[in-house]
Amino acid sequence: MECALDAQSLISISLRKIHSSRTQRGGIKLHKNLLVSYVLRNARQLYLSERYAELYRRQQQQQQQQQQPPHHQHQHLAYAAPGMPASAADFGPLQLGGGGDAEAREPVARHQLHQLHQLHQLHLQQQLHQHPAPRGCAAAAAAGAPAGGAGALSELPGCAALQPPHGAPHRGQPLEPLQPGPAPLPPPPPPPASLCPRDPRASAACSAPSAPPGAAPQAAAAASPPSSPAPASSPGFYRGAYPAPSDFGVHCSSQTTVLDLDTHVVTTVENGYLHQDCCASAHCPCCGQGAPGPGLASATGCKRKYYPGQEEDDDDDEDAGDLGAEPPGGVPFAPCKRARFEDFCPDSSPDASNISNLISIFGSGFSGLVSRQPDSSEQPPPLNGQLCAKQALASLGAWTRAIVAF
Amino acid sequence: QLLQLNSRKINNSIKKWRRTNVFFVYFNYTADIISTVEFNHSGELLATGDKGGRVVIFQQEQENKIQSHSRGEYNVYSTFQSHEPEFDYLKSLEIEEKINKIRWLPQKNAAQFLLSTNDKTIKLWKISERDKRPEGYNLKEEDGRYRDPTTVTTLRVPVFRPMDLMVEASPRRIFANAHTYHINSISINSDYETYLSADDLRINLWHLEITDRSFNIVDIKPANMEELTEVITAAEFHPNSCNTFVYSSSKGTIRLCDMRASALCDRHSKLFEEPEDPSNRSFFSEIISSISDVKFSHSGRYMMTRDYLSVKIWDLNMENRPVETYQVHEYLRSKLCSLYENDCIFDKFECCWNGSDSVVMTGSYNNFFRMFDRNTKRDITLEASRENNKPRTVLKPRKVCASGKRKKDEISVDSLDFNKKILHTAWHPKENIIAVATTNNLYIFQDKVN
Repeated sequence: MECALDAQSLISISLRKIHSSRTQRGGIKLHKNLLVSYVLRNARQLYLSERYAELYRRQQQQQQQQQQPPHHQHQHLAYAAPGMPASAADFGPLQLGGGGDAEAREPVARHQLHQLHQLHQLHLQQQLHQHPAPRGCAAAAAAGAPAGGAGALSELPGCAALQPPHGAPHRGQPLEPLQPGPAPLPPPPPPPASLCPRDPRASAACSAPSAPPGAAPQAAAAASPPSSPAPASSPGFYRGAYPAPSDFGVHCSSQTTVLDLDTHVVTTVENGYLHQDCCASAHCPCCGQGAPGPGLASATGCKRKYYPGQEEDDDDDEDAGDLGAEPPGGVPFAPCKRARFEDFCPDSSPDASNISNLISIFGSGFSGLVSRQPDSSEQPPPLNGQLCAKQALASLGAWTRAIVAF
Repeated sequence: QLLQLNSRKINNSIKKWRRTNVFFVYFNYTADIISTVEFNHSGELLATGDKGGRVVIFQQEQENKIQSHSRGEYNVYSTFQSHEPEFDYLKSLEIEEKINKIRWLPQKNAAQFLLSTNDKTIKLWKISERDKRPEGYNLKEEDGRYRDPTTVTTLRVPVFRPMDLMVEASPRRIFANAHTYHINSISINSDYETYLSADDLRINLWHLEITDRSFNIVDIKPANMEELTEVITAAEFHPNSCNTFVYSSSKGTIRLCDMRASALCDRHSKLFEEPEDPSNRSFFSEIISSISDVKFSHSGRYMMTRDYLSVKIWDLNMENRPVETYQVHEYLRSKLCSLYENDCIFDKFECCWNGSDSVVMTGSYNNFFRMFDRNTKRDITLEASRENNKPRTVLKPRKVCASGKRKKDEISVDSLDFNKKILHTAWHPKENIIAVATTNNLYIFQDKVN
């Protein structure tokens, strides 16, 4: 099906719908906003996959030693649209800064790839967490991943950079990280039914046409890297391209990144916890080496300042793969999700900054919206004793302010 | 081309539809957008609810014996304000007065009863006639002023004298404060004592006599709202089995539940779901698979669901796919992007069965509505519009040209008016009379009896 709009426009339209629904008479329509969030997710998946694909292609082109023809054609993507920004010239902040030779570019590209990858891992992780009782197509999702991964392997041999931050497999999805050359893939689960029951996660995996019958042959084909390109329609393609989210940890699984429009403070909250609080309380793998340093006490120190004009600087300053990087303020938490979405609208469309603000709120999950629900009288899950009540209240306050500001 | 039909078998074929009368009761006031249409069990009464919280009831004229070829026309019978806008101070939310659904109770005595609901509150209304009044009081004048008792010289017994018919509507029960989310359905049980009400996440069971409590029988709210993936979109009791009901979801599934199995029917007895065709996958797959209406057949053997592009008939004995699928406006599949932009993709079309379950009907855009004959597999597209339609005109079938060269009298997809949508239709339970609601107007059509 052709869509006249590209993913970016769809995302902005969807966010506008969600935004305007808050002022509509009769309260927020849960059904409509849920459907809009599905479109948002679909468009976001496509957008991410395309950015990722383009970056891979660039990296391939830079690696002259591997004579791999680029396999990333946008027309393979299920949602390909004519107006899509397919050219490399149109990549905004992900564009490699300045000229520089291929070698200089490569680590930067790798770093950006890695950040994008982590972002996607968070998303995947969250989706997996959201569907604890898969209906039939969970196998398909798992199968689609290695199948797509097998195909993607053949296309992306150069992505040695794409190592998960922590190599442990996660939750029974034993995908190996991408490596050049034949990789010891685990045997793919039984191929999913060709028609998968409707399930947001599974249906995305099912959209990869290679998934249904081709799982087994593709695993075999993975042995020789230059195999036929996987017919990678978008979500299945990039889902397979990445190793499964490793161990961000169960407690980091459903995060919400909230931007307080009053103070321009970004907070990453998960299940009602401030991320840095839960990292302080236990060895949180996603924060690197255990508990963070001092600076946790003050509520203001827990948050990270966001200045719209400093996007590029922030990107460059982030270390590759170091989720424990200390932002100003001294407390580590996961910045990558926010960063990616603020890279989203690089060029100034009229309301680009508004949209990027909105996007950061809907970085994951539904809570940014439903906090405003009539049922919002229900508090977030009770905090454990190790958390400072003040910090918890501060996080709630950030939520409320950000949402009321809309 | 017009269908060639056997005029003897009225209930088993689509007839030429003739407009008997058109009601321009609702003009272009936003408050008066029609939001629900429902015949009562005998078909004599037709109720409509609108966005302004009003209910208008039409009554069919008694058949004129002389003009036996024509069934009675519908005239306004009663009008009353069912719901008013409210404000929930605790949650800072305005509650719309729009009537989401009306359901009639079967008639037990001279009065009629119906349930009407907005987003939060269900009300039981009694509609009764008064055609006589007492006259001849001793202590009151005819105009109501009290007489001085000392002026009374004789006594008389008051008697009832005929008066002009007055139809009164009075609220008998108010079922409130049971729904956190927006009520989308009500359905009266075949026991005629209980009914269910469904919102986005929960279904409650009520007794018609008891207003201060209800039982929650379905709750799909996740512990963490971030995990929300689907909502309830419609629910209905089985027409014959008082323990059975179904509810549809935004994911395109229908669950049949048996209240005898457990108090909380979170676990379904049957799950009806058709696998998605992956070749049709798009950005909007989730939206167009969301079911907007579910209706049991009168027999209780089948149920019909409406999603954005199609109508599906399910056999209750087969869960893995529908037995029949009818495309309502497949030409819209390539327009989903624009329909998403202008919000039309969120329109919730309803569907209905005819009395013998042989024909199903649903609405579309450009004031078109469609009928599908399940036996002959023929379908017809008709238009409800003021222009070109004088009373007693035979409706001309319409055709939409999806692509290619447009034939004469065809309408191209791009010239469809998406602001003219028919969301609500109803079919008389016994006769071939249909009620079709455009945005502001109600049309009543009946077939031509030879």
